[in-house]
Amino acid sequence: MELRVLPARITSTTVTFPSRHLLPFAALVLVLTSVGILLAQAPGTKIPAAIEAAAVPTDLPTKYRPGPPTPRVRTNEKDVQGNGVTASCVTCHSTAKPNPQTRSAADLQQFHQGLKIQHGRLSCLSCHNDRDYNTLRLADGAPVAFPDVMTLCAQCHGQKWRDYTHGAHGGMNGFWDQTRGERLRNNCVNCHDAHVPAQPQVLPVLPPRDRISVMPKSSPEH
Amino acid sequence: MSTETIDSPPPTTAGVTRRNVIKGLGATLGLAAYAKAIAPLTEWKESTTVDEFLQQHYKELSAVDLQIVLSRLEREAKKEYGVDVHITDIKAQPGVKFGYALNLSVCNGCRKCAEACHIENNHDRGSNNSYIRVFEMSRGSMDMEKGNANYEHPVKQPDKFYLPVQCQQCEHPPCVDVCPVEATWKEPDGIVVVDYNWCIGCRYCEAACPYHARRFNWEKPQIAAHEINPEQSYLSNRIRPQGVMEKCTFCLHRTRAGRLPACLEACPTGARVFGNLLDPKSEIRWVLENKRIFILKEDLGLKPQFFYFFDV
Amino acid sequence: MSDAVASNALPHTLREHVRSQRRFAWRAFVEAFDGGVAFYVWMIFLTAVALVGANAWAIQVRDGMGITNMSDHVSWGLYIANFTFLVGLAAGGVMMVIPAYLYHDEEMHDIVIVGELLAIAAIIMALFFVVADLGRPDRFWHLIPLIGKFNFPVSMLTWDVIVLNGYLLINGYICTYLLYERFLGKKPNPRWYVPFVFLSIVWAISIHTVTAFLYCGLGGRPFWNTALLAPRFLASAFVSGPAFIILAIQVIRRVYHRDYGNGPIATLTNVMRVTILINLFMVVSELFVEFYTGGSHTSAAHYLYLGLHGKHALVPWIWSAIAMNLTAAGLLLTSSITTHPWRLNVACVLAFAGIWIEKGMGLIIPGFIPSTLHEIVEYLPSVAEWKITAGIWAFGLLIYTVLLKITASVFARRRALDAVAAAATTSTPGLA
Repeated sequence: MELRVLPARITSTTVTFPSRHLLPFAALVLVLTSVGILLAQAPGTKIPAAIEAAAVPTDLPTKYRPGPPTPRVRTNEKDVQGNGVTASCVTCHSTAKPNPQTRSAADLQQFHQGLKIQHGRLSCLSCHNDRDYNTLRLADGAPVAFPDVMTLCAQCHGQKWRDYTHGAHGGMNGFWDQTRGERLRNNCVNCHDAHVPAQPQVLPVLPPRDRISVMPKSSPEH
Repeated sequence: MSTETIDSPPPTTAGVTRRNVIKGLGATLGLAAYAKAIAPLTEWKESTTVDEFLQQHYKELSAVDLQIVLSRLEREAKKEYGVDVHITDIKAQPGVKFGYALNLSVCNGCRKCAEACHIENNHDRGSNNSYIRVFEMSRGSMDMEKGNANYEHPVKQPDKFYLPVQCQQCEHPPCVDVCPVEATWKEPDGIVVVDYNWCIGCRYCEAACPYHARRFNWEKPQIAAHEINPEQSYLSNRIRPQGVMEKCTFCLHRTRAGRLPACLEACPTGARVFGNLLDPKSEIRWVLENKRIFILKEDLGLKPQFFYFFDV
Repeated sequence: MSDAVASNALPHTLREHVRSQRRFAWRAFVEAFDGGVAFYVWMIFLTAVALVGANAWAIQVRDGMGITNMSDHVSWGLYIANFTFLVGLAAGGVMMVIPAYLYHDEEMHDIVIVGELLAIAAIIMALFFVVADLGRPDRFWHLIPLIGKFNFPVSMLTWDVIVLNGYLLINGYICTYLLYERFLGKKPNPRWYVPFVFLSIVWAISIHTVTAFLYCGLGGRPFWNTALLAPRFLASAFVSGPAFIILAIQVIRRVYHRDYGNGPIATLTNVMRVTILINLFMVVSELFVEFYTGGSHTSAAHYLYLGLHGKHALVPWIWSAIAMNLTAAGLLLTSSITTHPWRLNVACVLAFAGIWIEKGMGLIIPGFIPSTLHEIVEYLPSVAEWKITAGIWAFGLLIYTVLLKITASVFARRRALDAVAAAATTSTPGLA
């Protein structure tokens, strides 16, 4: 490549580009780029078509564990075959006057023995449907069947629901790769008791048993 | 010591002198003592075979050789542990790079993940060995010096959060760099694996790992036959021999078949998220894009593929 | 041997070379097993200890490394501690080569071989410690390049394998060559050993630098992750090496009646005076950085010097080492040290032991405590580890004794026969 520095005026005629000296380099660059592109096709870097085209649902399904069945109350009666007789909630609640102010389990111990409630400042009828005690209700009064309880939880716990649908909450069993297998998701109530949703304390398992492990158990400093 | 000086004559070495007889006796005694001293080696020889001794590195084995090795390993497991196992070898799938995330707002420190790992990976029962170590940490501090892995009280404690640590499957793993025989390497799908039949047990990788992720088989693993998980894989959960390193493999015998790792399935609070980082629609990608992620010891620059996040 | 000397027939053809080399080897072998009562007592004692160690190692191979007190938290222990120290000793052994060859100190020339034999014995011991530390010593062949898989140049351990074996070969060659030539009655040809001597000087620096790089390149171990580690290693090597050689010279003088004069001891003492101070300065430098900065990266130093969270197993060790080093430095700096040999010997023993602790238990173990996840799991060696350690040290001393004996014998004969030849003629007295 010729380059002549010209005083004052610069014309382009003295610079010849690309000259024949550059051609080998251009060819080399071309070859290297092609080789690079070919190498980049190495496994592990390309997303297979199956995942990319997942807009078409070819995946195996995600199954959700159902919510609880519509609850029934056990009576002390037995039927002819000796089975226990259960009563529907509606049996009593069709005649009792619903009280939207009831929010404490202490007020209910006559007929709801052993019930504990620790769910924020909700009242019972925030979730239970006073028009049909065999269902639950959303905020606008729409009834929700007990097996579909997740819809009700999601109404208030939007962030957790968002996390849950994206797999970041609630755990799962089965396959991460749903082109190869199903996935089973837990229901909210599998882990959270609807009346006392906070996780209970549990005892941890499998403490490490290291050689000469001298860290004290539950030391106050740590 | 020799009293040899400039003037002494050379000691005679010829003939049956008294000195030579005593020397001969001494030499015989010495050899006998030596043989007795290293006798335990002959007992140890029972636990290894010529085929195992001569086996090549995993990456050098042809498909046929690998099958022969797998059958040999199945036979050895039957002989030593009395159980029929099925050892497979699943290669890394293209387009897959595994990532793992853990929700620290949700983990309650129950250690069920550690227990599931212990069972799934056929760990030695006596030492409660597991690849996962769960730390009880004080709220408001990530200082691991204040962490405690030996708690046995009910969890969750109100002022604590829980940090499970396992192999982070770093992008730039120091354990891979330091291994003198290349017995450990990073697979294309991101998992750092160990060839248990190639490792010489020098434990340099254990010194190099900043996350205490490596475990060494200080003894032959002791597991009852009925507790052994028979679905095994060459690079992951087959029962390791004595004297070699091992580590978390993200349950590659499960995950390369598309299944979730054992620790995730066992977690009762759903704190763990696993998936393919290269799939933009995966859960792990959603977590990385929408949650506040942090990385343990990020300043070391090793780029782990294990991410921690909080809900708030 | 006497026939070769008497006939003065130097080998010229290959066949003659082979025959005389075989004679040399046989002669050396005979010398190794021949001596007075004290010699036999010493060798039997060393052999017994070595066999105890061999037995403990065989049990370790059979039952697994669980018989040591190492754990997944402290995964290197007494073996690697000794390995580190011995690599330093091997490097320091060649320390005398520098004044002899770079500064043309003629008095040092004869004694150079004592240092190089120490280097050989120390390297052999270091390699034994590495093998003792392996979980699968039967898989040693995996390290051989081409046959196994050799992760060179990324893994520092592969560099260590190369430099240590190379150092052994270089020193083995030099000593064999010098002894063989002396055995034949020839003056060694400088062309065939002086370049290797200079190579071994450079190589001595490299073996200990590479060993230091093993540790200081690990980002997960902040106690080791300091640039000062390699200089510290070299400084302490050049304390322990001369200390041992000063003691060895006096033993040789007493046992083999071979007096090298006072020059070498004086030179080595002067070397130690400087290097022990440099070493102490580096320790002070480390202490300042650790304790002034504070923070969790310095908890290992805290554990070592002051104890941490109630755990203080290593505190007595390190303070003894510091006391020993300071005392040795104080003794060495007194002007009367060369005229009071017992003071010098005490200083050498203290310096040797102090460096052993400081480099071994005081460096390798605290690198693991607290662990990378900040847990404290303590470590003190088990009985099996002490047995194996003692066994390898005994074996090393055995090798060193044998090598010294062969050397002394070769040199003694040479001097005897040269004196005879000189008396017979009027030429200048023979070279020793």
